[in-house]
Amino acid sequence: MTHNTVAEDVGTAPPRPARPPRPTAHPARRVLRALAPLPWLAPAIILIAAVVLWPVWEMFTTSRQNINSDGFNLGSNGWANYTAVFHDPRLPAIMTRTAIWVIAIVALTVVISLLFAQLFNQKFPGRKVVRWALIAPWAASVMMTSIVFRWMLDPNNGVINVLLHQLGIVKAFNGPQASWLGNPTDAMCWMIGVAVFVSIPFTTYALLAGLATIPGEVYEAARVDGAGRFRTYFAITLPLLRPALTVAVLINLMNVFNSFPIIYTMTSGGPDYQTSTSTVYMYAIKGYNIGQSGALSVLNFGVVILIVLVFLRANKNSLKAAN
Amino acid sequence: MNIHSKKRRLAAAAAVGISAAMVLSACSSSSSKSPAASSGGQVTLHFFGADYGTAGTANSTQLYWQNIATAFHQANPNITVDIQTIDWTDFPNKLKTMLQAKNYPDIIEGDAPQEYAQEGIAYPASDVLSASTLSNLIPTFAKQGDYQGTEYGIPFTTSTRALYYNKKLFTAAGITAAPTTWAQLQTDAQKITALGNSTIGYGLPLGSEEAQAESYMWMLGDGGGYLTNGQYTINSAANIKAFQFMDGLVKAGVTEASPGTVDRTALWNDFASGDVGMVGGSPAVVPIIQAAGKLQSTDWATAPFPGESGPLTDPLGVDDQIVALNVHNQKSAISAFLNFAYQDQYQAAFDKLYDLLPATTSAANALATDPIFGSFVSAIATSSAYPSNPNWSDVSTQIKNTIGGALANPTTVLGQIQTFATSQN
Repeated sequence: MTHNTVAEDVGTAPPRPARPPRPTAHPARRVLRALAPLPWLAPAIILIAAVVLWPVWEMFTTSRQNINSDGFNLGSNGWANYTAVFHDPRLPAIMTRTAIWVIAIVALTVVISLLFAQLFNQKFPGRKVVRWALIAPWAASVMMTSIVFRWMLDPNNGVINVLLHQLGIVKAFNGPQASWLGNPTDAMCWMIGVAVFVSIPFTTYALLAGLATIPGEVYEAARVDGAGRFRTYFAITLPLLRPALTVAVLINLMNVFNSFPIIYTMTSGGPDYQTSTSTVYMYAIKGYNIGQSGALSVLNFGVVILIVLVFLRANKNSLKAAN
Repeated sequence: MNIHSKKRRLAAAAAVGISAAMVLSACSSSSSKSPAASSGGQVTLHFFGADYGTAGTANSTQLYWQNIATAFHQANPNITVDIQTIDWTDFPNKLKTMLQAKNYPDIIEGDAPQEYAQEGIAYPASDVLSASTLSNLIPTFAKQGDYQGTEYGIPFTTSTRALYYNKKLFTAAGITAAPTTWAQLQTDAQKITALGNSTIGYGLPLGSEEAQAESYMWMLGDGGGYLTNGQYTINSAANIKAFQFMDGLVKAGVTEASPGTVDRTALWNDFASGDVGMVGGSPAVVPIIQAAGKLQSTDWATAPFPGESGPLTDPLGVDDQIVALNVHNQKSAISAFLNFAYQDQYQAAFDKLYDLLPATTSAANALATDPIFGSFVSAIATSSAYPSNPNWSDVSTQIKNTIGGALANPTTVLGQIQTFATSQN
């Protein structure tokens, strides 16, 4: 190891032999130079501080207050809101349900979107129309879609139940079998279906954009080398698609974890919070205890950050390839 | 380069994540409206109330209040009343969100006054209502607005509950009289369900719209209730037994499926279409039946709600109260508006519009001999009301959200509500 004698490098990064020698600079000038980008970055930094960091701080301070349901701050509550959250007998079930909700939706969305993207990447008559049609669930308000599905599942005369009744699957209207949204397990399955339905367009388009970036020569080379269809897909398409896939999965993970309108519209998280994810539950307890709801917000926020960091860590190679 | 760009990506992704999380996580706002000038000049009062009809239609309560506000503005050109109404299902959430954002209405119709009185933001009723109007309020309900001996809530409209039954279905099922006990109700519901055609024997609405009312009617049936001597006893043995019986009805398949997710309006509509044999309800079911046009007035009737061993003598009586908030210091304007709105003609118009019962003694006396409403009015004197504890509003929200789960797990769920009610006092 060769020691570099330039004073300001001592104690910072270990010097590398490969680095070209830099001219010595006065420390003040170095500081100035480091600050030079600040005027350009300042608007972004101020924006992040105002719309991201400040609300996070507010959320945290709220979570340590005792605030009643009418919004009156009754003073500091220490960590009691957090104790209440962690001692809530419903928390384990809600967190488990949230995990299932996120994993099921993201997995189904990605698999289906991969198929769709492949299909829409082919040239066929009417492709433009089908591509436009795919946007519909995305363009429609999620709340609207959820209301439509809720009525389609009405136990007495919902169109899905009428169809299933004619097919002989649902035996009687108004019965337990027809009341899909009344049974927590069935309700979760239907709501996961709706969530997948509204997540597919974005994911498909993200993957479609990824497919468009794969150069045709790679496929030509593969054909010349005699690779079959499956081999081509798994050895070329999928690896080259990974950056797009990573971004799509990441955005879906956060979206689905924070998803509120589907569950709130279709079941309101009930009965007895048995279809609530942590986001919906957080909203429900806001109705009677803002501090405790704030504590659960902080917990949710931590979970999202954790998911994102773990996911980015696991996919650092694919992100590197993207650059 | 890679290290830097990775860091940048991490930061960007973290920022995206944080923003996404924030959108749904943050729920704190400290913006407060400055009180409008109270002396001289124009005054705007904000009224927030429940919609007893259907928004966007002619029977929306928005129109009822708007008419009063317009007439009032003509008589008092310097006071404008801004009216906002919302359906019962969304009412608690909307109201709490407004209050939490420090966006205070001046007058609230439809919520219990005790919590506001405790917080010191409510006017006593005597500050905003003339003595003659005040003394005309039905005593049973006026007492419901008390907090520590002072009356804050002003009953606006009232109702008592009874059992509606479809006489056509009863005849078809070979039943001759309305049930008076739980056991008879179950037998009758079974016979009606056996008619087939997806007919619901007994409609049991435990969805969030008004689960606290349906639950209370059953609790009263075997001597239970929300309170014993002013203390919450939500998980009492009698209440657990009532829910066990209700669960028996659900398991027997004589109610609609999954009552915990079904709201009362849905079942009242189904009753009006002739698909439900029996349902508990207030006089507000009558206009729904008339609007549906499926049942003639001879096809249905009401009876006292059955109890375990006999009909309820102390049925549920509900009064919706008005409370005036002092946050904007508009005492004189609020007082002028409320005295205007409590005129007999407006009380009568409201009762006519929704077939609910009046809150004033004189108006109730006028209805005592009415063929449909007479029995509801006569039940007022002995009716059981909701608790008037300061935290009832929060407890009621919790009941609406969770009590549907008490069918399968009465001990656990009622126990959780009891813990909630007693820990929030």
